Amino acid sequence: MAVAGRSEMAATLEQADRELQELVRDSEDEIAGVVRDFGDLARETDVILSLAAAIVECVEAESVLSVLGRAESLGIAARQFLEGRLKATSGVLDTVTSEAKLLEGLSELTREQRAIARETQTLSVLTNIEVARLGELGNGFQYLAHQLDDFSESVAKGTKELASHTEERKRAIEETRRMLAVELPHIRQELARMETDLGKALAMVNSRLTALLETPEQFRVCVVEIAGQIAGVVAAVQVEDITRQQLEHVSQGLRIVAGKVRGLENGNLEDGDFEGSPEAPRIAAGLQIQAGQLTNIGETVGEWVSRIRTCMDGILRIGCSGVVEIGPKVLLEVRELSAQLGGIEMLEQESQAVNGEVQSTLAGLSNLMQLVGEHLARSTGARDRLRLLTFNSIIEASHLGPKADAILEISQSIKRLAAVWSGITDQSGQAMEEILQLVKQVQEGIRHFSEEGNHGLREAQSETGAGLETLRGSADFAARQAKEIESSTGRMQAKTAAIGARADRLEGCFARAGGVRRTIEDLGRLIEREVPGALGRCDRVEAESLFAAAYTTEIERQVLRAVLKGEPLPRRQMSLAGNDVELF
Amino acid sequence: MRKILAVDDSASIRQMVNFTLSKAGYEVAEAVDGRDGLEKTGRQKFDLVISDLNMPRMDGIEMITAVRKLQGYAFTPILMLTTESQAEKKDAGRKAGATGWIVKPFNAEQLTAVVQKLIK
Repeated sequence: MAVAGRSEMAATLEQADRELQELVRDSEDEIAGVVRDFGDLARETDVILSLAAAIVECVEAESVLSVLGRAESLGIAARQFLEGRLKATSGVLDTVTSEAKLLEGLSELTREQRAIARETQTLSVLTNIEVARLGELGNGFQYLAHQLDDFSESVAKGTKELASHTEERKRAIEETRRMLAVELPHIRQELARMETDLGKALAMVNSRLTALLETPEQFRVCVVEIAGQIAGVVAAVQVEDITRQQLEHVSQGLRIVAGKVRGLENGNLEDGDFEGSPEAPRIAAGLQIQAGQLTNIGETVGEWVSRIRTCMDGILRIGCSGVVEIGPKVLLEVRELSAQLGGIEMLEQESQAVNGEVQSTLAGLSNLMQLVGEHLARSTGARDRLRLLTFNSIIEASHLGPKADAILEISQSIKRLAAVWSGITDQSGQAMEEILQLVKQVQEGIRHFSEEGNHGLREAQSETGAGLETLRGSADFAARQAKEIESSTGRMQAKTAAIGARADRLEGCFARAGGVRRTIEDLGRLIEREVPGALGRCDRVEAESLFAAAYTTEIERQVLRAVLKGEPLPRRQMSLAGNDVELF
Repeated sequence: MRKILAVDDSASIRQMVNFTLSKAGYEVAEAVDGRDGLEKTGRQKFDLVISDLNMPRMDGIEMITAVRKLQGYAFTPILMLTTESQAEKKDAGRKAGATGWIVKPFNAEQLTAVVQKLIK
């Protein structure tokens, strides 16, 4: 190699050294920036993980799943309540219908009694006529005429009063019957609607609750993965320190080689003497070793820049929309279920109102029953009077003989009327008994229904209400935490662009090392052309001693040995887990 | 709060140690080389020191030897955090008074666990 060529080579090597030193300075800022940025990212992931864990813990701690069980119990209680109401209302309707029939019967009996009253009035007139016809003989029957007259008047008055109340009662129960006839289909409709709506609401709540449990956990798993990648980048950044030392040692190596080339230059070796110089193999080895170190550095940097980019991609893919949406969705379902609760409460209030009306209708019956009772008592008294009249008039008439045949006939008519009256009185009494039995049954059913049905429903409502409050609290908490998660994720994602730019700059920085490597390789090839086999003639021990004296890392020694032996360069095993601590 | 001194000429390594141990609840101070580390230990008592080996101005072995002579530092845990893995270097560290040896990169969880064990 010509002297001029050696001078140029030395200058090139010194320039390469300067470039590497500049590269180390430039990369240090970027590396420190990467560490800061990833430290921030690690803190954000810690925040996100604790927020997601808090959601999971809150949901589990509050046992929100129990809400479903309570709501289902409420559904059962509400269904039982409505079925009970349906049964009670049907019972009352049947009663009222039966009462209507009985009242109709009572009206008929009352009409018959009025007919008897009219007939009795006629008999009273006929008796008066006979009394007048019989003259003195008829005086004994005067009282009969009066009695018949009294009887007729009293019956007419009593039956009129009774008829009036009976009609009034018929109107009242007809109204109740109309109301119940509307109420029954309404209850059936409510039952069907409640079952459908509540069923749908429960299914939605079930689905949302499952999501409330699963979504934060899924999100947490995703973020744990990202946290792992961040930790990996942070661990890989430690390797930068090794790389920096490697670069510094390459710089040193280049200075050693440049020094040897300058030494040759200063030694004024003639052109032909370079080939035989002992420095030529050392220079060749030196160049190859530095090129090998720079190759290894390039691979290492490429790997952790790639890790940085993979981590950034992962962060950008973090989807927190699921966890952000779940809280509000659960709140929506809670509102829907609460509306169902409100609907059930309204049904209960309606039921109470209907019960009230039915009770008052049934209570109205007791007034009527009292009147009927009084009428019955009078009827029984009247029946006894008629019988006595019959008996007395027949005896009187028989004393008078044929002259009193007309009176006798009247007496027979009275007797017939008394028998009919007695039958009517018995039938009235029976009808009243039947009505009283019906009313007792219904009152008992309504009372039972009001007490137990309401109690069970209220208990279920109270428990479900409490469960919904807890769920609302959990969903609110989840929503708030999710908003924080969203902000944190947003901050992380916003940082990725800056980190990506930093990774680009790092790559650019170390690309300059690649340029230096190519320059060194060119020089190496030049040496090989000038001095074929120079590298093979190099003393490995001497070369190791010369260039590895300053080495502080195992990878540098491995690269040097591989180059000197002509073996493939080792790849750095980037242990993301890091090395353990050895205690003495 | 327990105090730790991280001594390394690499800013990123100091940041890493600081980040790892601050998360665990320690107060972490930094020194840029052996001389800076010696000055800081002279002014203030630290509960534990983590030091690199190869540093300008004063390397880790020299610093440990000097720190051990300071009042209150005879039994303070000192961990070496270095790229070196050769047996003779470890031996030199042990003889100088190092409590333990970590080859970079360190395992963050392991480091935290050992520190917690050394300074309860």
